[in-house]
Amino acid sequence: MSQPKRRRINVRMPAIGGQGAVTAAHIMATAADHAGYYAVSNPFFGAEKRMAPAESYVRIGIDPIYDRGEVVYPDVIMVFHSQVITMGKSYTMPFYSGIKKNGLIIINTEEDLLTDRDHEYLESLNVKVFNFPATKFAMEIAGTELATNMAMLGAFFGATQIVGMDSIEEGIKARFLKKFVASGGTMSLDSAIERKFKKKLELIEKNINTAKAAYEVAQEWARDQGMEVWLPKPQEVAKV
Amino acid sequence: MQKTEHVQYNRAGQRVVSPDYLLFEAPREKQFMTGSEVVKEAVKRASVDASVSYPITPQSEAAHLIGELWVEGYVGVYFRGESEFGVMSEIAGCAMAGARSITTTSGPGTLRAMENFPMWAGSRLPIQLVLMARGVNSPLSIQPDNLEMSFLLDTGCMIWHAENAQELFDMILAGFVVAEQPDVHVPLITAIDGFFISHTREAVMLPPDDIALPPYNPYKSPMVPLDMEMAPGRFLRDPYVMKSNYISYAAHTSWQFEVRAAIERSRPYAKHYLRGLIEEFGDPEAEIVFVASGTAAAQAKEATLMLLHEEGVKARVVRLKTIRPFPTQELIEALRGAKYVFVPEFNVIGWLEREVRRALYGNLDVPVIGSPRVAGGMTMPPEFIVKEILQFLGKEVKHVV
Amino acid sequence: MSYKIFKINEDLKEFMPPEVIDLEEKATWGNPKRGVMDLPYAKELIEEHSLCAGCPESAAFRYILASLPNPEDTIIVNSTGCTSLVFPHIALHTVHSLFGNQNAVASGIKRVLEWRFPDKVKDVVVLAGDGATVDIGLDMTLQSFFRQEKITTICFDNEVYANTGGQESGMTVKGHVFKMAPKGKQWDKVPMWQIAIDSGCHYVVRMTVSSPKKVEKVIKQAIYVAREVGPTYIHLYTPCILEIGLNSDDGLEEMRRTDKERFKFFEYMTDEAKEVIQRKKEEGLL
Repeated sequence: MSQPKRRRINVRMPAIGGQGAVTAAHIMATAADHAGYYAVSNPFFGAEKRMAPAESYVRIGIDPIYDRGEVVYPDVIMVFHSQVITMGKSYTMPFYSGIKKNGLIIINTEEDLLTDRDHEYLESLNVKVFNFPATKFAMEIAGTELATNMAMLGAFFGATQIVGMDSIEEGIKARFLKKFVASGGTMSLDSAIERKFKKKLELIEKNINTAKAAYEVAQEWARDQGMEVWLPKPQEVAKV
Repeated sequence: MQKTEHVQYNRAGQRVVSPDYLLFEAPREKQFMTGSEVVKEAVKRASVDASVSYPITPQSEAAHLIGELWVEGYVGVYFRGESEFGVMSEIAGCAMAGARSITTTSGPGTLRAMENFPMWAGSRLPIQLVLMARGVNSPLSIQPDNLEMSFLLDTGCMIWHAENAQELFDMILAGFVVAEQPDVHVPLITAIDGFFISHTREAVMLPPDDIALPPYNPYKSPMVPLDMEMAPGRFLRDPYVMKSNYISYAAHTSWQFEVRAAIERSRPYAKHYLRGLIEEFGDPEAEIVFVASGTAAAQAKEATLMLLHEEGVKARVVRLKTIRPFPTQELIEALRGAKYVFVPEFNVIGWLEREVRRALYGNLDVPVIGSPRVAGGMTMPPEFIVKEILQFLGKEVKHVV
Repeated sequence: MSYKIFKINEDLKEFMPPEVIDLEEKATWGNPKRGVMDLPYAKELIEEHSLCAGCPESAAFRYILASLPNPEDTIIVNSTGCTSLVFPHIALHTVHSLFGNQNAVASGIKRVLEWRFPDKVKDVVVLAGDGATVDIGLDMTLQSFFRQEKITTICFDNEVYANTGGQESGMTVKGHVFKMAPKGKQWDKVPMWQIAIDSGCHYVVRMTVSSPKKVEKVIKQAIYVAREVGPTYIHLYTPCILEIGLNSDDGLEEMRRTDKERFKFFEYMTDEAKEVIQRKKEEGLL
């Protein structure tokens, strides 16, 4: 018998307040929901402040999801900011505590931030590390670091291959076209982004482009790593 | 199909349908939203007359969104009060004047408002309070914890505990219907574990928003609404204590019993509109049983699946939807055959464990274990529950990395 | 007209107590010109009072209820204290909920009645003591003023917590010895009438209830202004004869004495209030 296929991915996104990790989580879950998966997203429950640790979580699966709250045992960790690692701006120490076997860590960085001990431990669990310069990427494609979260989002789906760009686009549109309340802080950030981009549609397009480019890069990385699709398609499950 | 002969509309212009149609028969579409947004969707379909708000995390967003409904014409009266004590008094005034009323609060706000809740119950006001439970100070906490529900158990209000956004939506709608029954007519606290529901985005199935509950008819109230449209009623709003000290205690005693009796009379209605006061999940033969409500029940369900699939241990969950009235008979029936009863909770004192013990005492001899229990904002990962169970059973804990 | 709610079914009339039949037949309904001059002839809306013999508060109650321009559509909100003893005897819709929350409850009632009955005038009047209005309920009193709630707030100031046995209140005069102030009150009486002005009330009066006609005029003006403009506040001195050691027949004398000093008649109105009062005078309603 082959390894039992994954039925659920639990994602933890340690970030810095203001980077849009909550928004990324909500879009991720919306995209997965659009693709037919069960999906749940939530932020860390507590005070959120600019430049202070912030964290959000997504659960995606082919069975109903009851589990709520922080993801203590993640399959995937997405590190939005190098300070999560270098300055310990994380709710868990080390930032990868609880990572499950065969997991994945995506880090927004241009260089390797992990120590030899980190690498040794993660390799022992067969956890893959994908260093992906999301902020640099966002600057290049969208012209703003505020699209970092879109790059991270694209990288996640590119690496895991559980949904296509159509669902990601749908998630982004749902987020920016519908009236959305995450918190007062998110709303003011939205208006800051809007001022910067002048037009909403332009903003959506840039976000989609950023996510798409990141998706392709990550897809290629995953292929090089010999990674398989992380979840069966919901339609396939339905047939069984 | 509806049995109404002619189509009726509420003041917002929505078509009035029967509660059964709205809750059980109307076609539903999937939406992806947070628990806070779901409160708005429920209120939008509930022909609500009045809401008063006050900021406190995590309920603020739900309260903002009710304000948007007021702007859009779905809610008649809406404003921000000065404190939770003020708000709960203002919403009491709204209900006394004959309005279908809803408000929201959390943690310290609940305690600030506390004196109002027995007053609501004693005044027989069918106000709905959406309680998004959070930690109670001190030290300062703005994280999930449902200790405050313990303080509310004996206020004379009904208490329901929703597991997720979907159930919150359905409970808010069903809540007005049950609370406003003339033979019930007491307040309802629709509780959720704050953040776990309010801030979590998930799929919910919603009926169309151009239909709504029948508007509240204050003249079916067992108490006269304060609008000078009926002869003044003379009871609690006109306390006997002011007339005769002798009549006073007799009246007060019987009135307190009557409020509790009204909660008891809500059982058949709640059973119908909530499709039972409890939900059973998992292998009905399992001897390990979790008794839980709200998010603790959700975590127990996840742990039950994990125990079965990863450890080969059979377990089941008995989830309580109502806390007041407490589903004593249903619980006793559901626990026949249980060998161990675990009560996972998100508070330090284990109020549900106490309730379960009280319900079972003299009725069913089964060990009740008040575990696992987390507090102060901690998450209760299913892995943690599994570990507790395995340790209790003396089994090896291996699956957690 | 909703005073028809007091009409008794003919077939049941023979079983009704005379005071209820009197309410239908002899009370002044539907007449905004009703007033204290009706007192000797008409059926009063207060059946009896359950206060101490000779309590000036009982006089205040009678004058106020006789002066309401629209009793058939008036809701009275009260609070805990001596005043709350009286409400069961009032033939209108009254509510006692908690100590100090009267202006919050009244705000909810007023807003909902405006929403439910857009074509009717429903007056909401708060009657509460000085402890309820100025101490425990000050927050909610002032917040209702800030929010410009269209309610009339009437404070019966007896300068003491009388119902609980004579403790110092914020309205006690400086130096007076009461329970909980065994060395005498250390700070000044709260100038509530001034605070009411600063908090946005459109019509504010400070007075005693020594002159029934004057009370009638003030009450009517306050209610008319609240109906159209915003919050109004009436501060009445109703001395606690018991706690200041006076006899049952001394109340009126005590008020007449203070009429000349700390309860000298004081009246404030905004321009909007003035306009309403002027118009009501022209209509012959004042």
